[in-house]
Amino acid sequence: MQARDAIGASGAIGTSPPRSLEAPSRRYGEKAIQGLLALCAIVSVATTTAIVVSLLIPTLSFFSEVPVGDFLFGTDWAPTFAPASFGVLPVVVGTLSTTLWGMLVAVPVGLLSAIYLSEYARPGVRRVVKPVIEVLAGIPTVAIGIFALIALSPAIGKVLPFMVKVPPFSAGVAGIAIGLMIVPIIASISDDAMRAVPGGLREAAYALGATRMKVATRVVFPAAISGVVASVVLATSRAIGETMVVLLAAGASPNLSLDPGSSVQTMTAFIGTTATGDIATGTITYDTIFAVGTLLFAMTLVMNVVAIRLVRRYREVYE
Amino acid sequence: MARHENRPETAREAAAGRASIAVRPEFRQGANAGAKEKMFEIENVTVSYDGQPAVKDISLDIFKNEVTALIGPSGCGKSTLIRCLNRMNDLILGAEVSGRLLYHGQDLYGPKVDPVQVRKMIGMVFQKPNPFPKSIFDNAAFGPRVLRMKDIEERVEKALRCAVLWDEVKDRLDQNAYEMSGGQQQRLCIARALAVDPDVILMDEPCSALDPIATGKIEDLMVTLKEEFSIVIVTHNMQQAARVSDRTAFLMVELDATERSRWGRLVEYDETEKIFTNPADSRTEDYVSGKVG
Ligand SMILES: Nc1ncnc2c1ncn2[C@@H]1O[C@H](COP(=O)(O)OP(=O)(O)O)[C@@H](O)[C@H]1O
Ligand SMILES: [Mg+2]
Repeated sequence: MQARDAIGASGAIGTSPPRSLEAPSRRYGEKAIQGLLALCAIVSVATTTAIVVSLLIPTLSFFSEVPVGDFLFGTDWAPTFAPASFGVLPVVVGTLSTTLWGMLVAVPVGLLSAIYLSEYARPGVRRVVKPVIEVLAGIPTVAIGIFALIALSPAIGKVLPFMVKVPPFSAGVAGIAIGLMIVPIIASISDDAMRAVPGGLREAAYALGATRMKVATRVVFPAAISGVVASVVLATSRAIGETMVVLLAAGASPNLSLDPGSSVQTMTAFIGTTATGDIATGTITYDTIFAVGTLLFAMTLVMNVVAIRLVRRYREVYE
Repeated sequence: MARHENRPETAREAAAGRASIAVRPEFRQGANAGAKEKMFEIENVTVSYDGQPAVKDISLDIFKNEVTALIGPSGCGKSTLIRCLNRMNDLILGAEVSGRLLYHGQDLYGPKVDPVQVRKMIGMVFQKPNPFPKSIFDNAAFGPRVLRMKDIEERVEKALRCAVLWDEVKDRLDQNAYEMSGGQQQRLCIARALAVDPDVILMDEPCSALDPIATGKIEDLMVTLKEEFSIVIVTHNMQQAARVSDRTAFLMVELDATERSRWGRLVEYDETEKIFTNPADSRTEDYVSGKVG
């Protein structure tokens, strides 16, 4: 292209009028498109800002009535009773419990599925299995919650009674249901990350006498680690933020315990049951909802930041 | 494809307007091979991808402690052929190897042979340097670790010395391999292959991504390495084949009568000197003198 232009230009010396270097039009269309694109980007920035602000205002009002220490480290959670008590730890632990049990299922199942899909499955099998796994991600969470309540909980309770102490509610069962729900996030994103690892690295390892398992675990997995961690972080965020499943299957009693068999209330379940629309603005109950929401937001944010730092530090960069 | 397969060999070649290649014993081995120890005996090997042959009916013997070069125009199946020697083709779906391939007299494709064991003994270096995104040390140590060998540090040092890389990297073994130059990366890949004490090293155009100085270093390396190892190298660089190899096989693309399918054929195999100064086949002469290809 450049060469042709050069030839064209040299051929034109003295025979045609000098070419203008100015744009033939003002390119309004291009400017309009550019504006539109910027606008779209601004929409999401503005939304995030609006959410943060609308969370923060009632939160600040909450902390003008409840000391931060009482909230963060208190172990008695009864914000809607009289006398009210605002120790948030029981619901935080409830969230940690369901998330923990969920990740205990989702991480191994998701990663092993990803390794299978990316390193073992034949293309034909993969073409069928991957979409099927991904369909699981599209099932409405309310359906998963019902499934946990009426199928999973009785079944698990029968085989492992310690998992369901107050039938049918159980932090462990809700966690397992959440875990199954987020397996596709981990499996699908990790599979993509592992398949993006250059084939040359696999060949190098095979040529050294590595078995398929060694190639997968020692070469492909570490090279794909940033994608893998990203998938786990995304899945954890989903688990922490999941509301419907815990609302239906985890019970509603705040409980400062990681025991998978006990019934718990999570932060999201508290918000879900309390924010019913008939609570008046400005009441302490109203502000409590936002304080819990802010804490939830902060927890997810911190987890994301920590994960990004870790990935930067340990990832393997291939060219 | 099967349709062409059924037609007699000679008819197809006559149709393609080419003389058929006689497989005389001295042709399979080249001159002065009598006393040498055979490493590979390749007999009538055909490799197909999805039923389409990529190389056809290759027969040649490869000897111990020699550098054997495979030359020919691109697409003639040099990579396909060399990848048979350590069963790398097993990793490609749809690749199929027929014929007989002996390694120290054992059938490489025998029913009980484990390709993983084969690759422990027959290492490979690829066209594009492909170090792992790990430290220099971890790259060289990868094979020994995977194979649960002992004395990892000694092995790594020995391999890096063998690949004439030790002095350049001994003070920065924990640096990422990607921080090295392309030539160093390729020598690291050679060191990585040497670290597991292979018997043979296969090199598929190991210098094609490198500058002339880095290429020179790798060529010198090959000449020293053949004392201890046997080397098979694919190259499209004829000067390189002439400089480093003891024996050279020349492959060429052959078309079928309809010119719709093509595959690689061995045209001539002999001592490198003979191939480059006094080839028996006029096509070899045309190729090495730069008239075609
Ligand atoms: N993985 C593969 N799948 C299908 N065809 C292949 C594959 N690899 C090589 N081929 C075909 O086999 C022929 C020989 O290729 P190759 O061995 O790479 O030749 P060379 O190394 O001499 O350039 C080519 O026609 C190529 O298209
Ligand atoms: Mg090639």
